[in-house]
Amino acid sequence: MRTTDRIHGPGVRTARRPAALLLSLALGLSGCATVATDGGLHGVQNQMPASAQAILGQPASDAPLTWQRSAEDRQAVAQRVAELLAQPLDAERAVQIALLNHRGLQAAYAEVGISDAERVQASRLANPGFSFGRSSKGDEREIERGIHVNLARLLFMPTLSRLGDQQLQQTQLQVAQKALQVAAEARKAHVEAVAAQERRRYMQQVMQAAEASATLAQRMAQVGNFNRLQQAREQGFHAEAALGLARAQRAEHAARERLIRALGLWGAQTAFTLPERLPDLPATLPDRPEVEREAMAQRLDVKAAVAATESTARSLGLTRQTRLINVLEVGGKRASSNEEPTTTGWEVSLELPLFDWGGARVARAEAVYLQALDRAADTAIRARSEVREAYVNQRTTYDIARHLRDEVVPLQQRISEENLLRYNGMLIGVFDLLADARAQVHSVAAYLDALRDFWVAQADLDLAMVSSPSLSAPSGGNSPALPASGNAPH
Amino acid sequence: MTSRRNFLSGAGAITAAVGAATVSKVAMAALPEPVIQNRPDTMPPLMPNTGRPYNPVVTLNGWTLPWRMNNGVKEFHLVAEPVVREMAPGFKAHLWGYNGQSPGPTIEVVEGDRVRIFVTNRLGELTSIHWHGQRLPNGMDGVTGLNQPGIPPGKTFVYEFVARRPGTFMYHPHADEMVQMAMGMMGFWVTHPKGQHPLIDEVDRDFCFLLNAYDIEPGSATPKIMTMLNQNIWSWNSRIFPGIDPLVVRHMDKVRIRVGNLTMTNHPIHLHGHEFVVSGTDGGPTPKGSRWPEITADIAVGQMRQLDFVADEQGDWAFHCHKSHHTMNAMGHDVPTMIGVDHSGVARQITKLIPDYMAMGERGMKDMTEMEMPLPDNTAPMMAGQGPFGAIGMGGMFSVLKVRKGLARHDYRDPGWFKNPPGTVAHEYTGPAPAAHRQAPADVQPGDVEVQVRKPHHHQH
Repeated sequence: MRTTDRIHGPGVRTARRPAALLLSLALGLSGCATVATDGGLHGVQNQMPASAQAILGQPASDAPLTWQRSAEDRQAVAQRVAELLAQPLDAERAVQIALLNHRGLQAAYAEVGISDAERVQASRLANPGFSFGRSSKGDEREIERGIHVNLARLLFMPTLSRLGDQQLQQTQLQVAQKALQVAAEARKAHVEAVAAQERRRYMQQVMQAAEASATLAQRMAQVGNFNRLQQAREQGFHAEAALGLARAQRAEHAARERLIRALGLWGAQTAFTLPERLPDLPATLPDRPEVEREAMAQRLDVKAAVAATESTARSLGLTRQTRLINVLEVGGKRASSNEEPTTTGWEVSLELPLFDWGGARVARAEAVYLQALDRAADTAIRARSEVREAYVNQRTTYDIARHLRDEVVPLQQRISEENLLRYNGMLIGVFDLLADARAQVHSVAAYLDALRDFWVAQADLDLAMVSSPSLSAPSGGNSPALPASGNAPH
Repeated sequence: MTSRRNFLSGAGAITAAVGAATVSKVAMAALPEPVIQNRPDTMPPLMPNTGRPYNPVVTLNGWTLPWRMNNGVKEFHLVAEPVVREMAPGFKAHLWGYNGQSPGPTIEVVEGDRVRIFVTNRLGELTSIHWHGQRLPNGMDGVTGLNQPGIPPGKTFVYEFVARRPGTFMYHPHADEMVQMAMGMMGFWVTHPKGQHPLIDEVDRDFCFLLNAYDIEPGSATPKIMTMLNQNIWSWNSRIFPGIDPLVVRHMDKVRIRVGNLTMTNHPIHLHGHEFVVSGTDGGPTPKGSRWPEITADIAVGQMRQLDFVADEQGDWAFHCHKSHHTMNAMGHDVPTMIGVDHSGVARQITKLIPDYMAMGERGMKDMTEMEMPLPDNTAPMMAGQGPFGAIGMGGMFSVLKVRKGLARHDYRDPGWFKNPPGTVAHEYTGPAPAAHRQAPADVQPGDVEVQVRKPHHHQH
């Protein structure tokens, strides 16, 4: 923009008014946009739905999302982490540490800062230009004073500003998901590490039983009561148990390292202790027939996909809405079962506008928009399936763990008690008793695996309600919890 | 005690009420009311009050079936049915038997008696009775399919014959007999001689019992019928020591013990303190010239032996099968021998895993008899019984012959433990102990064959 004052003859007339107007307009538009002091993390927390609490272990607004930008920040976090690591590390503390300390998450926080800065930048008017020119044409002197601002930019400033806001929101949504995923990962890694530690302890017990068998067998052979075959068999159990213990130790080590990575720990921080055992199963597991609908209403990836279509539409100047299409095409659902009362119907719909494109001149715009639409639909379909899978996983792992705890383990204990009675009556020998002790330990280990699977599935479901989980395929058959029947003679 | 149970399920009462309109008196009269035994104790001898007189037997932990005289015919009624038999205090078995117990009641008749036996089948499958050793019409021999159709469940068959030969006999099914005998269906039969018999001496006390064996998983109650030799319950009249009553006799009594074997292995039956002769088999009395003194009579499978002796030594005399495993109750045949195995260290290690574990068998197994260890339900301890000098540590086919002065003629009550005269009991030597002179042991090199005594691991009877 350029204003030119032409000074004709004796009078010089200066027209300053429009420039001042534009300037004040530009300043007015950009006046409220400043870089957030927290690097935009507050907005990240605001993006989290209430149910993020399940993953974070506390309301999202209280979660320790801090972007460490200074040495003091880092110092404070290191101190806090040290405090948290001073006691046996439970799941909640593990999540706190991950949120505070995970460097990948810190990198994501920086993303928000970058996005926020860009937004502020976009909402600011480019510095106005001033020009001064003097020219003479005969006796006419022309003094040209110019103040120029980028008018196009000024005109599109509201749009640019909105795009900046949307970009920031997208980033915040992504970072919120990242934070939730880091928290979920910390939970799962914690469960795995505690379980692996407990399993190793059980394998040590098996080893102990096998050791006792082997020692006794050796002494039996020494006094002539066992032959080499019988002794070799008992030694075989011992050798196998040693193998099992070595494997359990390796698994424990790996699980611990995964936890260390999930929490971003290093150096002396890695010397933490874990609780003795996993928390027991919840007493009950409430039915959640609306889990899919709830998830669709609050999942951040779905929210981001919808926002992306809106943003695309807006940036393409598409306003003429002709009709809505349901990208999910889901009607009412009636879940009936022969065992449970029919659950009430509910609907999941994700409606996005489809535009009447008019002419072909905006073919690219159409393609871009349709792409966004399909991406949204893809995200929604994936999200629904993930929630269903996570929900079924959580329920079945619960049922399996409960069955092991309430049926299989007590049954094995009963078998052990009965076998001890038979040992008392000299109906079976001490080697049968020790073999039985091994079987009992295996049944407890099977319960432990199932309990671990449940807590992992619970974390997956909690995450699936708010973001995309990384669901692992169900583990195949563990070693049988019960030995083949009839191993003990009468 | 015997009890009378109305077998026709209230038909008697109905008859009384409706005046025999539907059940004829003849039909009612045709079937003697069955007598059912509820207790596993040795019942006093049943003194005959009808028919020819005889000197009755005492069935060890059993009883004699009362009869009815019907126009000169002795009528008995046996009911084949499932029973719960107490084999020892604290151990009840689910068996099949007759008239409330296994074995069934002893049937006592006199040589020449016409006998009619009604057999009612209350089992789930057909049965029959073979009168082992009797001379009888071929159609009365009781082999299902060969001599008669089987008795279907719920039906009553009648057997009738003359007890021609005096002696010691038994009865058992001959229909699915492997199962039915493994389940305990059997009974004793004594045909007393009519008057004096040159080969059959009159005795003061006449005992009888059958040898039988079961395989009952410790903690369960029903025998495993497919077991052939590895039974874990070796019993006399489906009782095991300390559940077997003593044989109580008066000093100087002439005693007869009749034993029949319905297990699947032989049993050397051994009497302490006396010599006996085998005065008869199920083939009949033995010729006197063929008898010689014995202290052990091996009774083969399906055989019966009649042991006669004079109880001329006072005291409590062991009487048992001489297969030592048969004087044990339920035991584990695959339990490793722990003798001489040092448990130090290991026992503590095992206790960490199995808190109630206790090392056993290191010195032998006598510990078993002194420790009161919890056992599976419904299981008799392998070695049990307390005597005047401590644990007897026996089971299975073991009892005591108690010879006492001053008992009444038909008094079979347990007189308690024998009071040994002073100075007649083995006791500890407390004098000086000379140094033991032992030969230096041969130098045993590793790899030398070293023979050590141990019981065979696999236990065949």
